[in-house]
Amino acid sequence: MLKRICYPLHKYICIISGLFLLFSQLNYALADNFEQLRKDAANIQTIQARFVQSKSMKILSKPLISEGCFYYVSPDSFRWEYFKPLKSIVIAHKGETKRYISSGGKMTEDKTGGVQAMKIVLNEITAWMSGKFDQNPSFKATLKEGTYTEITLTPVGKSMAGMIEKIIITVSKKDTAVKSVKIIESENSLTRIDFSDAVINKVIPESTFQDIE
Amino acid sequence: MKSVPILVLTFFFVSCQTLPVINNAPGPQTGKEALICPSPFLKEKYRLIHAIEIQMAGATRSAIIGVTLVDPATRTVSCAILTAEGMVLFEADADAGLLNVRRALPPFDSTSFAKNMIDDIKLIFLSPEGKIHQLGTLSDGANVCRWREENGDWIDVSVHQQGNIDIQRYSASGGLKRHVKFINKAGENIYSSIELHAKELSNYSLLMMLIEAQPVKN
Repeated sequence: MLKRICYPLHKYICIISGLFLLFSQLNYALADNFEQLRKDAANIQTIQARFVQSKSMKILSKPLISEGCFYYVSPDSFRWEYFKPLKSIVIAHKGETKRYISSGGKMTEDKTGGVQAMKIVLNEITAWMSGKFDQNPSFKATLKEGTYTEITLTPVGKSMAGMIEKIIITVSKKDTAVKSVKIIESENSLTRIDFSDAVINKVIPESTFQDIE
Repeated sequence: MKSVPILVLTFFFVSCQTLPVINNAPGPQTGKEALICPSPFLKEKYRLIHAIEIQMAGATRSAIIGVTLVDPATRTVSCAILTAEGMVLFEADADAGLLNVRRALPPFDSTSFAKNMIDDIKLIFLSPEGKIHQLGTLSDGANVCRWREENGDWIDVSVHQQGNIDIQRYSASGGLKRHVKFINKAGENIYSSIELHAKELSNYSLLMMLIEAQPVKN
């Protein structure tokens, strides 16, 4: 039961975390093709940024807005944190991945985690960090040039069935900055994430991946 | 064969669960002001968004975002469960007794989960469908109205002297199934803090903190 909830949830977290790594790499390189992306991935040592997440659904009259921040240190440490409306933190560090939630004003570990599912997530993250976005067998990646550069990731096979229809990343051609990311779950459900204040290759203390509060 | 007496005793014990005793309602015959049934229920169509902590065995297990759209005029309910990351785990509508599950990812994909969730939402936000069976006071002094539902369940809605309102759903035999507590401070929206305690094979509690409440005009 616990693993059943853990797997889709953490796979989802993995996707949105991995996406940001992709965007940062796009900032670094004029990403004419995915091979260039892979080469530039090697230059990324650390990333930190803020994000605003906008969730649209038929049941909502207006998008549900969430805010948070993201930290990454190569090769496999990351922290994905929401400040509001529901405080939560996902931390991967030294081979361990944990999710924390706010309970009674304190952060407490999400007990729905399963060790096996965590390993699956870590394997996926490692692949994304290596810039292998077009080599992940779970997604088919395509580039489209227009007013903006648009990267579309479409799930392949059944692993994402019922979870995600496609992911669309819009990148400014002028400065290669990512403008928006859309995770389309269904025709009635869309998650858009806008990143800001991105800082690349600035030292991030290890405590970022150890301290919860 | 040794288990038969145990089964009989268990059946006897379960059968003998009794509803809390309600003392006579105040009214003209007692010279006290007549009792008015507490009504924490929605009066118009509303959309509510709650942060929800899931507790089992006294410990917080997880946290989710719950979106509820309820129309008391038609008794229609729409609901969705999201993770903080925006992932939709569950989405369903209930209209005129018809349940339509639009999306259900594990572990929210069982048929009983959807029905129980809609029933819980109705218990919290909609007045009971049954008839008022009894009015009066509980042993702790709380004023209470007791409804009898068509399926035989009992629903007690009580208001305590501090003003807090509770809803309790009992089985036909008197076993407590759900206990809802509205824990709002003076001046707060009544749905700002809600606790739902469920008695199941594995007991669980939901602690709901209001993020947003919005009336919906058709």
